Amino acid sequence: MVAFNSLMLLLEPSTMLVIIGCAIYGLVVGAIPGFTATMAVALLVPMTYFLDPVPALAGIVTLAAMAIFAGDIPGALLRMPGTPASAAYADESFQMARRGEAETALGTSLVASALGGIFGALLLIFAAPALAEISLSFSSFEYFWLACLGLVAAIAASNATPAKGAISLFIGLTIGMVGLDPVFGQQRFTFGNVNLVGGLAFIPVLIGLFAVSEAFRFGASPVARPEMLPLKPAAMFKGVFGHIGRLKLPILRGGIIGSVVGAIPGAGADIAAYISYAVARRLSPNKDKFGTGTVDGIVPATAANNAAVGGALIPATVFGIPGDSLTAVIIGVLYMKGLNPGPTVFLMQPTLLYAVFIAFLIANIVLVPFGFGAIVMFRRILSAPPGVVMALVIMACIVGAFAVENTTFAIAVMLGAGLLGYYLEENEFPLAPVILGIVLGPILESTFLASLAKSQGAFTEFFSRPIAGTLGATTIALVIAPLVYVLIKSRRQAT
Amino acid sequence: MKLKFIAAALTALIPGMALADWPERPVTIVVPAGAGGGTDATARMLAERLREKFGVPFNVVNQGQGGGVVGINTIKSADPDGYTIGVIYNFAHYAPMGQADFNADDFTAIAQYNFDPAGFNVRADSEWNTIGEALDAIKAAPDAYSIACGGGCGGSWPIATATLMSQWGVDLSQVRIIAGQGAAGALQDMVAGGFDVVPTSVPEAGPLIQAGRIKSLAVFGDARLAAFPDIPTLAEEVGLELSLGAWRGVVGPMGLDQDVAAELEAAIGDIVEDETWQNQMSERGFGIQWRDADGFSEFMKSEEISVREIVSTLGL
Repeated sequence: MVAFNSLMLLLEPSTMLVIIGCAIYGLVVGAIPGFTATMAVALLVPMTYFLDPVPALAGIVTLAAMAIFAGDIPGALLRMPGTPASAAYADESFQMARRGEAETALGTSLVASALGGIFGALLLIFAAPALAEISLSFSSFEYFWLACLGLVAAIAASNATPAKGAISLFIGLTIGMVGLDPVFGQQRFTFGNVNLVGGLAFIPVLIGLFAVSEAFRFGASPVARPEMLPLKPAAMFKGVFGHIGRLKLPILRGGIIGSVVGAIPGAGADIAAYISYAVARRLSPNKDKFGTGTVDGIVPATAANNAAVGGALIPATVFGIPGDSLTAVIIGVLYMKGLNPGPTVFLMQPTLLYAVFIAFLIANIVLVPFGFGAIVMFRRILSAPPGVVMALVIMACIVGAFAVENTTFAIAVMLGAGLLGYYLEENEFPLAPVILGIVLGPILESTFLASLAKSQGAFTEFFSRPIAGTLGATTIALVIAPLVYVLIKSRRQAT
Repeated sequence: MKLKFIAAALTALIPGMALADWPERPVTIVVPAGAGGGTDATARMLAERLREKFGVPFNVVNQGQGGGVVGINTIKSADPDGYTIGVIYNFAHYAPMGQADFNADDFTAIAQYNFDPAGFNVRADSEWNTIGEALDAIKAAPDAYSIACGGGCGGSWPIATATLMSQWGVDLSQVRIIAGQGAAGALQDMVAGGFDVVPTSVPEAGPLIQAGRIKSLAVFGDARLAAFPDIPTLAEEVGLELSLGAWRGVVGPMGLDQDVAAELEAAIGDIVEDETWQNQMSERGFGIQWRDADGFSEFMKSEEISVREIVSTLGL
């Protein structure tokens, strides 16, 4: 009955119009490199003042689902992830597109995204309270180990030699150290410059590393730009379902990883995609093909990042704790619309809340036709001369960097990051570990110091809590196992 | 035509001169906090009303970097021509903590419009049932308990708690104040067993209070909150007449034209009286407190002294 009433709320013509508008907006913004789903939602918030709760919230969750997928499109065709969530496998799909398999890459990615999103939405609807329960028992000890796991995954997920991956990671960790330290609030690497007190902001650095560096590369050797990759929309779903059928299990695994990681506060779609990619790489029978462009790498990660949105909405609605920055903005809108997140909202306003959940489910289903449209249109936009496109990209990057930070300094940071990204790429250092270092560094530092302060210096506390102990043992095993393996192998060879 | 242009340029260059026509163009409100948070929300509600009153846009610009340091610095160093003003909140701790050099004298006070009292949150299964029990226990063994600060450790909530503890005679130099990951993160960490006390605004803790995971032992304001009538005030519980927590107000850079400041003060005064604005604020859980320019200026100066004392005793 509640479900029926909720559906009726959504079928209002004006609500439908808002949802469709938000879907298109989400696809366009998500497809523009440097514009994140979080930013798309944040830009929409002022407009939600004028809307009723159902269209406002249904529109926002639709936008989120669309934007996360749309990030895959420039990832494949330009090698610039449209949103950070697509960064984990942008290179993978780009390699495919370069071989002329852009249709397969994007078609499979689209269907897998929708499946992952549907999985997340169903989990949100049915298992919300139980899952929130799990992530709610995480203290700084567990977060510390999660961050460690992430760092290990950052190196494991990169294609370069572990040494180059580690160097990239440390560059990221260093970038993350600039500004006020997260525990004592002391200035670090600021050189007395007030702009640096705020640190090197994440979005401008991301835009610089992934998008501006690409434009620089084009500027340096304009002829050798193979980015105008052929794409025949008609052929898009050819062979796709064969891949999907073959990869049922990895998709399911991606959905589960995505939902769980998304539900953990602080870790969002981007980290979910990285972890899912790393897990798939370890478990896949075709692991040697990873990094050369294979759907086996794209599918689990793209399913995970769409599932993460549903996962992140779980603690957001049940306890009012955001799963990531995107849901943090959504929580703001929930409050604004009088739907104060908390267990009581499930009892007091179930119709309204479930209308939002159902809208999210539907958004992930209609993602397939909408996403297809976006791919076709995106292609048309990028048929423009590459010089013009790159100029537009730079412009979008500058606007995006400024819009997020509201400082001209952010533009300088972005251009500097662009130079760094260009230099790293030219020398075959992977970029993804840089980003993970920036994200995880402050988490690692603050959770480590907070944990030690809580336990008054006793390291045993990192293992005495059951979940922390398990995570810790897993992390250490992941680091030590390959070393032991190498050691045993070399001993055998020696004898 | 040319003369007119030169005159306009001169007007822009010389602050305090010929501002009779203010505002002729959009005014920027710098918000030293990210979009979507509490400070941002109150600033936008205010900006909307100011636009209606003056007929020019009041554009909110978010600069939350470095815990607000970047945004507050923008307000401090802006031209005092009335076209850049800002929303400011508890900032006395930045200077003694070595994060930035901000003093009450750097700003022209316009008006305070908000105050949210701190709440003293503990786990639902905590052995403490009253704030008195908690304070006595902490006084007896100040280093046995961990107290989280949501954002920066010199911010409004930990300073409010530290002020209360110092009034109770707790040895502040022994107290363990530990940084958590934002208010929501710290609350969740407390539920998971990581902290003993997490002071935050009561609405921030609301969902977890309703879920029966945590309880708030006292609210540090003059009266109980309408939305949380079960949480007693400090005066009721331990007889201390304290009003501690987070405040927000509008300021301009030092030397802001007096007429412009007065116009803004009067306009904000009208807005604070407006019933729909009041409803908008209370719906989102924000308290309303009015201080005129003089009162606000006095308040910032006296708070600067008391907060800096606390920060140095805590050894932050």
